[in-house]
Formats: sequence, structure tokens, C-alpha cells
Amino acid sequence: MIEVVDLEVSYGRSRKPVLRNVNAVFDCKSLVLGPNGSGKTTLFRALCGLTSIRRGRILVDGLDVERIYAKTGLIMVNFPEVLSLLPVKIHDLISLYADLAGGDEAFAYRVLADLGVGEEILRSRRLHELSAGQLKAVCTAIALSAHAKHVLLDEPFEQLDPARKSRLIRYLADYDGIIILNTHETWLVRSLEDWRAFFMFEGILYGPVLVRELLEARFSLREEANPIMRMMVSGRAVSLVKDGGGRPLLSLESLDRVYELALEGERG
Amino acid sequence: MTRYFTLSLKTALTRPELIFWAIIFVEFWILMWAYVFGVYIPAHEEAVKDYVSTAYGGLTILSLSATATTIAYALIHSSKSIKFVTKYTRLSPSRFMVENAVSSITVLLIVSAIMFASMIIVFWHRFGLLVLPHNPPGLFAATLLSAVFLYAFSSFLSLLIVVLRAPRSASFIAFVPLMLGFLAYASLWIDFRIIAYISPFNCISSLFYHYYSGKQPVTGGIFMPGDKELMDTMLTASSLTTWTITLLILDIILLRRMRGVGIEEIRIV
Repeated sequence: MIEVVDLEVSYGRSRKPVLRNVNAVFDCKSLVLGPNGSGKTTLFRALCGLTSIRRGRILVDGLDVERIYAKTGLIMVNFPEVLSLLPVKIHDLISLYADLAGGDEAFAYRVLADLGVGEEILRSRRLHELSAGQLKAVCTAIALSAHAKHVLLDEPFEQLDPARKSRLIRYLADYDGIIILNTHETWLVRSLEDWRAFFMFEGILYGPVLVRELLEARFSLREEANPIMRMMVSGRAVSLVKDGGGRPLLSLESLDRVYELALEGERG
Repeated sequence: MTRYFTLSLKTALTRPELIFWAIIFVEFWILMWAYVFGVYIPAHEEAVKDYVSTAYGGLTILSLSATATTIAYALIHSSKSIKFVTKYTRLSPSRFMVENAVSSITVLLIVSAIMFASMIIVFWHRFGLLVLPHNPPGLFAATLLSAVFLYAFSSFLSLLIVVLRAPRSASFIAFVPLMLGFLAYASLWIDFRIIAYISPFNCISSLFYHYYSGKQPVTGGIFMPGDKELMDTMLTASSLTTWTITLLILDIILLRRMRGVGIEEIRIV
């Protein structure tokens, strides 16, 4: 379980926080939905103790994340920058992380075969020589193959075609552990009904709510009564409601469109 | 040892920058010393021995400092992932330091061995004389101490870039070992006097010369006419040892400070 208490994060000497007053408990498979630039990746970096925390604390299985060292199998991520320990061929990289994180090489190869990354690519290329889609697939396969208790997946579906997306969904659904996945795409909601969802806008985390409640949910640019969730977007109150007015969440495709809607609302 | 050790060693030894700057480039100068500059060396044993020992001291420091530069560069480029692997894999911070140090020192020793073998073979071919070191255990000990120093110096530079959040300086700072190596090489023409004891790179070059030739090294200006000041070998070795211990302590302090630096601040340029 990952517990976040009153978290505030800012970069460098900047006083403007990237994450503000984040409170959450991640004790089951969860989605973090939000537009690009909303702070999802920063939240993930903070969850595994890779970024400096200005205020608050993060506990992973009761341990302060800042004090965690050499805890094999506790957390794994799919950030390419943290999987670039050595500039070796992908084949060697898989074996390196399998050895260091106690992972399963065969499982990684199986995931990669399903995601369309062939043996030849794995034997001949390094991480920085892969296309964006292959890079995501390799990093996600390494992260899942570690069989860690908590797996943080940053936009794992980006650049994957629909067939590969559905194959990856199967692995996520079958995974025996806590997956926390962030994305700006809303189609995922249809496939992961049993998960829980958080929303993130402008560094603030909202939720959780059951994913199945989002299937019929609508975004309204007004402060509605009895909303599923009320959020602030570009200084404007936005409600997520079960029925009534507004745009169906699933019709947005990408949550980046929420900003467009907010702008339209301001004009009209 | 984990798979990190073997892969780190393999990566370092196959790095094109290391192969070119630390080996091929210096091999070119070995050939120059043997077949171009060497034509002025009188063909008697003592003169040849002294010439080969001088070449060994001067050229090996160039090769090792080029290796140190590639080590610093590799550490800078993996600094983002070091933070993660030391938290969530069996490569704890201390284990990482040990495995990284052992693989880097092994690389430095392998490069030294290549230089040693090349010089013996090339100078034997040129002069028809097999010039072996006067004190092999002493030379090995000096090489080992130099390798530890150069590793400590490389990691100090890369950790400094991370802790000072100065990624723009990375390209420049990684080349500091090579620049200091060339300064030590300049002692063939310039008498550095007291600086010869202060600069660890000059100390390495002098110790290599001492154990190879069995003679006292000088503070510099070897190829220049006039009286030369002899160096105290014990003082030279003590200076290098002090530098090594100081840098290792600084490495540990910087490694602790690195924990407070977020990975988004470790930009790589």
C-alpha cells in the first residue's frame, strides 16, 4: 500500500508547487487520469522517492519513501530514464533488471512478443535506438516482469496500436499486485472497470472513484448538485456527474480536451 | 557480484571513446616515441632503459586519464537510474559503489596492461632490447593506487555535477582528468617544482617512471637542459595516497548529499 499525506512538490528553487495538497491511498489497482502536464509523472516520481518533497510524506508499506534502500520487489516503474543504468542492448538490459530486481526474463520476452517487439530488435538495439512505441513497450515489459508489489506505469499505452493496447490490458488485468497507471486517454475506462480512478488537474489529485462509475459519467462546466467529483480546471469549477448535462467523459478521448471545454465555457 | 558488474565491465571496455582516446590515440604516440623521436636515442642499454621508462610514465598517464574521463562520463549519464536501482533493487548504495569501483578499477588495470604490453613490444622491435620494469611489484602497486585514485577522482567529478545541479558543466568537467593528464605529460618540458608533489597526475607519472627505471624521478623539464631537482619517492607516494583517501571521503559525503537531489534536476546535456 502507498499512502500519500499532504504532499507538496516543487522543482529546483521554484516556489510554485507542481503538486499541491495531495492525499491518497493506493491499496489496489488504480488509474490516475489527467491531461498532459497535470503533474501525473511528477506524482509517480514522488511515489517512488525520486523527486524532492517540499512538504508531506509518502509511506510505502509503512516505510518512509525517502529512507527506502535496497528493497527488492517493493516498487517498479516504466520510466526509461531509470531503466538506463547501462547503455547495453535490450537483451542485456532485460537480464540486468531481472537479476537486480528479481524479475522473470521469460515473462518480459512474452510481453514483448505480444507487443510486437521481436527478438532481433532486442538483440541489436539499445534503449535510445528504439522508436517511441518500442521504448514504451520495452520499459513496461521490464517493469511488469519484475513482479514487484507496486508497479507504476507512466502512459504505457502511448504510441501502441489498438491490437497491442488490448493485449497489454490483459497483462494488467491478470497482474498479481498493485498497479498504478497514469494516462490522459479515456478509452481505458471501458476495459478496467474493477479498478479505482483518480483525476489530476493542475497538480491536485481528486478521487478516488470506482472506474465503472465513470462509464456513464459526464463532464459539466458548472457546479452541479451531487456530483461524483468536483474539480478545478483553469480556475473554473468542473463537475463530474452521473447524468444530466455536459459531455460524456468517454467522448473526450483525451483529457487534454477538458481545457478546450473550459475555454469554450468561458467564451460562451 | 551482480550482473551489473559484468555488464558494466563489458560496456566500459567496448565504449568507442575509451578504445579510441585511451588506447588507439596513445598507441599512435607510442609509435611516435619509438620510431620518430627515438632516432636520437643512443643505442646503449642504459639510455634505452631510461627512454622507455620516461615514455611509460608519460604515455600511461595520458591513457589512464582518458579512461578516467570515460568513467566520469558514464557515471554522469547513469546518475538518474542509480537513484532508482539503489532504492528498489538488490544493488544497495554501498554495493553499487563497490561493484562500480571494482569494475572501473579493473578497466583502468586492463588499459594499463595494454599500455605495458604495447610499450615492451614496440620498443623491443625498435631497439632490439627487452626493457622490463626494474621493480615489477612496485610498479603494480603504483598502478593499483593510481587506478583507485583515478576512480575516486572520476566519481568525485560526476557526483559534484549532480549535487551542484550543474549539468551544463558536465561535458567540461568530465574532461578534467584528461586535461590534468596532459599537464602531467607537459612535465617532460616544464619543471613543475613543488607542484610535481601537489598534482596527483604528476605523482602517478613520476611513480611509474621510478618503478620502471629504478631511478629517482625529477620534478620536470626532463627533455630540457640544465640541473634537475630529484623527487622524494616516499613523499610522492604519500601525496597520491592522501589525495586518494581525501577523494574517497568526499565521494561518500557527496553520495549522501545526492539523495536530496530529484531526478528531474539531474538533466543530462
